[in-house]
Amino acid sequence: MRKRAAVKALKSTLFYAGAVALCVGPLFVFVWMIMTGLKTGVQNIAYPPEFIFTPTLENFQAVFQQHHFFRYLMNSLIIATLATGLSLALGLPAAYSIAKYRQGRIGMIILLARMTPFVSYLLPWYIIFRHLKLIDTYTALTLTHLIITLPMVAWLMVAFFESVPAELEDAAMIDGCSRLKSFLIIVLPLVRNGIATSAIMAFIFSWNQFLFSLILSGPQTKTVPVAVYNFISYGKIDWAGIGAAATLIVLPVSVFAFFVRKTIVQGLTMGALKD
Amino acid sequence: MANVILKNVVKEFKSVTAVDRLSIEIHDREFAVLVGPSGCGKTTALRMIAGLEPVTSGEIFIGDRRVNDVEPKDRDIAMVFQNYALYPHMNVRDNLGFGLKMRKFPKAEIDQRVQEAADILGIHELLDRKPKQLSGGQRQRVAVGRAIVRKPKVFLFDEPLSNLDAKLRVAMRAEISKLHRRLGATIIYVTHDQVEAMTMASRIFIMHRGALQQSGAPLEVYKQPANRFVAGFIGSPAMNFIDATLVREQDTYVIDAEGFKVRLPEAFYERLEPYAGRPVIFGVRPEDMAARDAAAGGGNGNTLTARADVVETLGAETFVYLTCGPHSIVARMEAPEHPLEVGQSLAVDLKMPKTHIFDKETSQTIV
Repeated sequence: MRKRAAVKALKSTLFYAGAVALCVGPLFVFVWMIMTGLKTGVQNIAYPPEFIFTPTLENFQAVFQQHHFFRYLMNSLIIATLATGLSLALGLPAAYSIAKYRQGRIGMIILLARMTPFVSYLLPWYIIFRHLKLIDTYTALTLTHLIITLPMVAWLMVAFFESVPAELEDAAMIDGCSRLKSFLIIVLPLVRNGIATSAIMAFIFSWNQFLFSLILSGPQTKTVPVAVYNFISYGKIDWAGIGAAATLIVLPVSVFAFFVRKTIVQGLTMGALKD
Repeated sequence: MANVILKNVVKEFKSVTAVDRLSIEIHDREFAVLVGPSGCGKTTALRMIAGLEPVTSGEIFIGDRRVNDVEPKDRDIAMVFQNYALYPHMNVRDNLGFGLKMRKFPKAEIDQRVQEAADILGIHELLDRKPKQLSGGQRQRVAVGRAIVRKPKVFLFDEPLSNLDAKLRVAMRAEISKLHRRLGATIIYVTHDQVEAMTMASRIFIMHRGALQQSGAPLEVYKQPANRFVAGFIGSPAMNFIDATLVREQDTYVIDAEGFKVRLPEAFYERLEPYAGRPVIFGVRPEDMAARDAAAGGGNGNTLTARADVVETLGAETFVYLTCGPHSIVARMEAPEHPLEVGQSLAVDLKMPKTHIFDKETSQTIV
């Protein structure tokens, strides 16, 4: 008995040691980013790096005062919300059809769009949107973000829709629903966990998107990841500003993700276990 | 209430014919049971009546209306599913009232009908629970309740008892029969369980490989099966089929199987004439045999001698698995005074008027 207890203790020690080792890398980067934002410019380029210092909030103030950071935050919020909403509106029915009518092939095509390197879209898109006079508009940015968010919503949701027994819809159709109505009032409420997960994921991916926004946005629609780029100018890199801005970008989504982490894990492991 | 008519209904899935020219007429207030082994097309037939599957060809009528192109919701039917298909996100009350709500019934009437159904099924205390919090039997009741609040013309049941344990199944069987009498409704009930079919049906429709084999009252199909399939499907344990030759000996007909020979009753003769001298299949039900100790005398002369291989004692009755020459035979008998022993030699008297003879080529019943 004692031996078994010892083995158990050893196992959990090893587990936690492993977990900590895995977390150190990513967390260090994260902590470094926040520290950079809290240091002055001189402290930031000091060598060896200073770990003990008096934090300052000046950089954060500067981000809002010297740059239009609030406006960029609003741009990001608007574009991410629109992209998420639109990908749900299109992705939910698409995923439902793929699951219900076993259209795996169409699913693959959607996935193919997601797997193509994004850089290859940039030039054609730039030309198309310039002809349409849509450069520096919410429309262009929202639409391009769909290439990321829509496949994500569709693919996550297929598994959820497949888990809804077909008999429930049969019952609903006999009880007086049309196919659309049974989708809306029977099927959708049953996959709400999946909708929440895919919406959150879509939002985060759109929020963090840099490449498309860099090329297709302009002064009016610049998003926060691109705005960070402003801190790099010819001959000077404002590390303190970048650190503060990056912290501000990551903060809302991290707080949000922290509160909904259970839903996300549930959603992503869907189908792994029988409920 | 209404009758249901299927005329030459065919259902093809790609290259597979699931239902083949099915023509049946189910009368008003009848308890019709479609029965057959899995894959025989019975559930597909039911789903076509419900409108959940389109027909490939043929016509379906409910009442006087041709419903081929009518949506399920407009066919005035209710269906109970094998897995109950209760809406998981609604409580029992909302599950029961859902169909009426969709049809825009006034709230007061919905409440009243839900109460009525809850009274009939004794599920009052469950009304505010979610399906997840119910046992299998309770879910089954709610599923039935959801059908009866609608007061439809026709009730469709798709293997509703398959997911229940044996004891509950027997109880629900009786309850559904009672419900049928109380509601006076037309019921179409699909099952693979011939016991359910025999005990509940006013008429049985036996299906095999997409085609109707026979229809009739339970006792009728039991006593006069139309072919070898029906004979083997109805009754438990199944009828024994023995390869034999029909032999004419002077003025009588005799079944000559390897290992035994029995004389057929006079009433059979007329129909047997064309088959004289030909190979046939001799069918005898386990319950139409009486086994006794081979050493004891007596018997009716139509006796075969066999060795007991397996003896299953169920209490009131005993199943004996016998070997007689090349044949394996099951006999069902009342529990004997002295327990039978494995290896014991038994004399088995056949109740000849109750035996059957099938055409070996077509499997159709000769007698």
